[in-house]
Amino acid sequence: MVRYVTRKAVGWLLMIVVATNATYFLASWFLDPRSNFKELRPVRSEAQIDRALAPYNLDPRVPLVHRWWDWLTSVTLHFDWGKSPTGVSVNGEVGYRSLISAELVVMATILSVVIGVALGVYTAARQYGWADRVSQAMSIALFNVPTSVAALAVVFVAIWLNQHAGLHFLYVAGENSPGVEGLFPTIGDRLLHLILPTLTLTLMGYVGYHLTQRSLLLDTINADFVRTAQATGLTRSQAIRRHGLRAALIPTAASVAFSVPAIFTGAVITETVFGWNGMGRYFIQTISKNDVHGTVATAAFAAALTAIGAILADIATVFLDPRVRVN
Amino acid sequence: MTLATPVLNPVPPTDAAPVLSVRDLRISFPSEAGTVEAVRGVSFDLLPGRTLGIVGESGSGKSATAMGIMGLLPPSAALRGQVLLGGRDLIGLGDQALSEVRGNSVGMVFQDPLSALTPIFSVGRLLSDALRVHQDLTKRAAWEQAVELLDLVGIPDPRNRATSFPHEFSGGMRQRVVIAMAIANKPSVLVADEPTTALDVTVQAQILDVLRLAQEETGAGLVLITHDLGVVAGHADDVAVMYAGRFVEHAGVEELFRRPTMPYTARLLAAVPTVDGGARRPLVPIGGEPPALVGLPDGCPFASRCAVALDACRSDEPELRHVTGHGHVACLRATEIADGSLDPAGDAAPVDQQATADRTEAGEVVLRVEDLVKTFPVTKGAFLKRRTGTLHAVNRVSFELRAGETLGLVGESGSGKTTTLMEILRLRRPEGGRIEIAGTDVGTVGSGARVRELRQDVQIVMQDPLGALDPRMTVFHLLAEPLRAIGRDRASIRSRVRELLALVGLDDSVSDRFPAALSGGQRQRVGIARALATEPKLLALDEPLSALDVSVQAGVINLLARLKRELGLAYLVVAHDLAVVRYISDRIAVMYLGHIIETGETETLFSDPKHPYTRALLSAIPMPDPLRERTRERVVLEGEQPNAARLPTGCVFVDRCPLYRLADDSVRRRCRTERPVPTPVAGQPGHQYACHGV
Repeated sequence: MVRYVTRKAVGWLLMIVVATNATYFLASWFLDPRSNFKELRPVRSEAQIDRALAPYNLDPRVPLVHRWWDWLTSVTLHFDWGKSPTGVSVNGEVGYRSLISAELVVMATILSVVIGVALGVYTAARQYGWADRVSQAMSIALFNVPTSVAALAVVFVAIWLNQHAGLHFLYVAGENSPGVEGLFPTIGDRLLHLILPTLTLTLMGYVGYHLTQRSLLLDTINADFVRTAQATGLTRSQAIRRHGLRAALIPTAASVAFSVPAIFTGAVITETVFGWNGMGRYFIQTISKNDVHGTVATAAFAAALTAIGAILADIATVFLDPRVRVN
Repeated sequence: MTLATPVLNPVPPTDAAPVLSVRDLRISFPSEAGTVEAVRGVSFDLLPGRTLGIVGESGSGKSATAMGIMGLLPPSAALRGQVLLGGRDLIGLGDQALSEVRGNSVGMVFQDPLSALTPIFSVGRLLSDALRVHQDLTKRAAWEQAVELLDLVGIPDPRNRATSFPHEFSGGMRQRVVIAMAIANKPSVLVADEPTTALDVTVQAQILDVLRLAQEETGAGLVLITHDLGVVAGHADDVAVMYAGRFVEHAGVEELFRRPTMPYTARLLAAVPTVDGGARRPLVPIGGEPPALVGLPDGCPFASRCAVALDACRSDEPELRHVTGHGHVACLRATEIADGSLDPAGDAAPVDQQATADRTEAGEVVLRVEDLVKTFPVTKGAFLKRRTGTLHAVNRVSFELRAGETLGLVGESGSGKTTTLMEILRLRRPEGGRIEIAGTDVGTVGSGARVRELRQDVQIVMQDPLGALDPRMTVFHLLAEPLRAIGRDRASIRSRVRELLALVGLDDSVSDRFPAALSGGQRQRVGIARALATEPKLLALDEPLSALDVSVQAGVINLLARLKRELGLAYLVVAHDLAVVRYISDRIAVMYLGHIIETGETETLFSDPKHPYTRALLSAIPMPDPLRERTRERVVLEGEQPNAARLPTGCVFVDRCPLYRLADDSVRRRCRTERPVPTPVAGQPGHQYACHGV
């Protein structure tokens, strides 16, 4: 198992290296940090702009291969991913924002998966019953609501609740309140801020798991082996849970693992509505501000998450399906 | 040589209390077309240690009866009546209460062992789980019992095999595991739903023996559900024949087969192809199709297909009544039939008698296969496939086929018969050897246009007509498609389609229907018509009858015979059912592990089989005649066909050969080291076999 994971990890590492370097070249060709200075008054000369960019290894007069080599050596030797055109350290930004994103994403993903799979199992066992129809209608409706609308709706409801019930714990903006001191108050404050964005992401995220898990389980629920399990003396729901669900969970496990990078960098709208400075917004910002190093670091971050996700998916598959003997 | 000569079970004392009593069981399902009355009042008693065979065609309600007893019907099904198990009525019990009965007092064996076992658990785990559901055992104790059970049902090396997963077992071995699960908690009733239908004949014989053993071990009463009258003849004490959701005849096995009294039973027996000696009798198809179970008309559901129906049969449905000296029959004319004064076949004389008896003169050679070889690489690894071995699917197979002639390729699954067929249909140069179609060596045909031309001469009829016909095309389009492909114009397509429908005995009105709206027999006729569209010389038939019910099968057999005679076709038939092959083939080639081990004229091969494998294959086929079925000497082969990736260097049959075990050392050495070559039989032209020991 360990050897298998190591071998997989080495393969993925290679993939990350290739993808990241390719992104570096693409970003350098398409993003032009000089344009950031064009709007500035007083107008700067070309030479002034280039000189301003030079300390951040973004000077367009230096050949691209040289700049790439410098970037690569600093990444490999010092794990320094460079600076933005305004001199902000990419490492600092990514480090800080990835933690914020993690806060947001981990809870929401767990909730989405648990709620989605549970609903899927519950409704698959009662196909075409009222519970199935109602929850499916709700899920399909939610599926069609854009995230921005859902997020704003959540905000509205929260504000209404706060006003009418005199509640003041539903925070609609920011990841924490300024001026909170001490360990426990800080954690409590952060958790309260987490409620609404997590709710939004969960509402948006569970639907997919519900609908796919339902149809996956429906494929196995009427399988002969579930009937055999019933014939040995299990009730229908026991047979479904012990024999049907396990096989039906394998594709879900893989999709959860692979969706991790997408949610990390894809929660842009939720982050924007609730004023969180996570990786999603950073990704958009770096591109719009022609931040070559920031963009590349985000890409590398997503690639690393994909690799972790893939390896987790493999482990989950081996765990769920003991037939998959690793050799 | 293993001789299994079971004797008729002695009748146990009649005062034994039944372990299972079913009273007026009725099962219905809602459907879009209306309520489907799957079971309409079934009653029987099952005594301990006895076997009740329930026979019927698909849709007769036999499986629904089994599932109803087990409480395994989908929640939408409505059940009425009584299922008394040890005095307790199971109808109306909730899932929780039923689950305490299932697997504990009633065990069940399912039809398809390939899908009946949870793929992600080891068989030891499955068995110990089954034990632990009802018994308070430690994991370890349950595992020990599981190993014992595996040993009981004949799994070699049970301790190690217990840790294997279902996919590592063959079909027969998996069915043994399913039986072990069914008897794990020593139930008093065993229900086996088509336990051997998905298995090869030689394995079928083994599984039926295991089932008998399991029954002896537990003393359980067995409900054996099957469509195979031969299986019932050999293994049941009482037989119930089901038709349209009811028992139409219920009698002791000897009485039922001696004088089938319900016309349906009699006609069913007449429609079954058999392998027992003497000349083959013509098959008499029943005609028509079993009724749909939605909104059944008044009267006897069989009346429309019955040759001796009276007017009264069409107004009232006859009850199951006792007929003296026989059993229970649901027929108004049962007494007349029982005393022999009325022939249930009526005047429906065998129409196509000539077709089966008459042999057309063989014409020019349509297909010649010489030393055909096909291998598949055995690979390992998910990403970089490494070749670790070679699977010899077809090994130096030679035969020829003339116009107006039928060659049957028979053998168990994995014997290479379908691969041979596919290699011929591929119309490319084979991996080894030569294929010649209508005088053209397919290896030398270069251009695509010429291959397309050759394609017109060779067509195929598939096993499963529902899978082989595009569900989104009407019958007309299905038949027009091959004609369009060869560039016929609209008018000629239209007339040709009409011609084809008439040729296969279908009405013009089916041409705008979709395959789903046709019955199984009609679908297979469309499949045949489609194959005939381009006027081929050679028709390859891949298990053309195995998806059809017995009563419909006979009609298709007769159709194939008529077409061959009228159109001078050559048939290459692949089938596992020797009885069916006997009725359509002029010559038979028996395949084992990619080799033709015996070939000859059909009747010569049946009356005088030489190769031990052919003999075993023939003797494994159950006969629908209880006396002969139970008294004849049977050769039950041990084990299963080995993996074709590791062929023995000598005779490929050596591991299972009953003759090898009896042979002396010099013959044994030859069997192990030297592959036998086909030897002609003196005085029987065309009859060849490959064996050192005969």
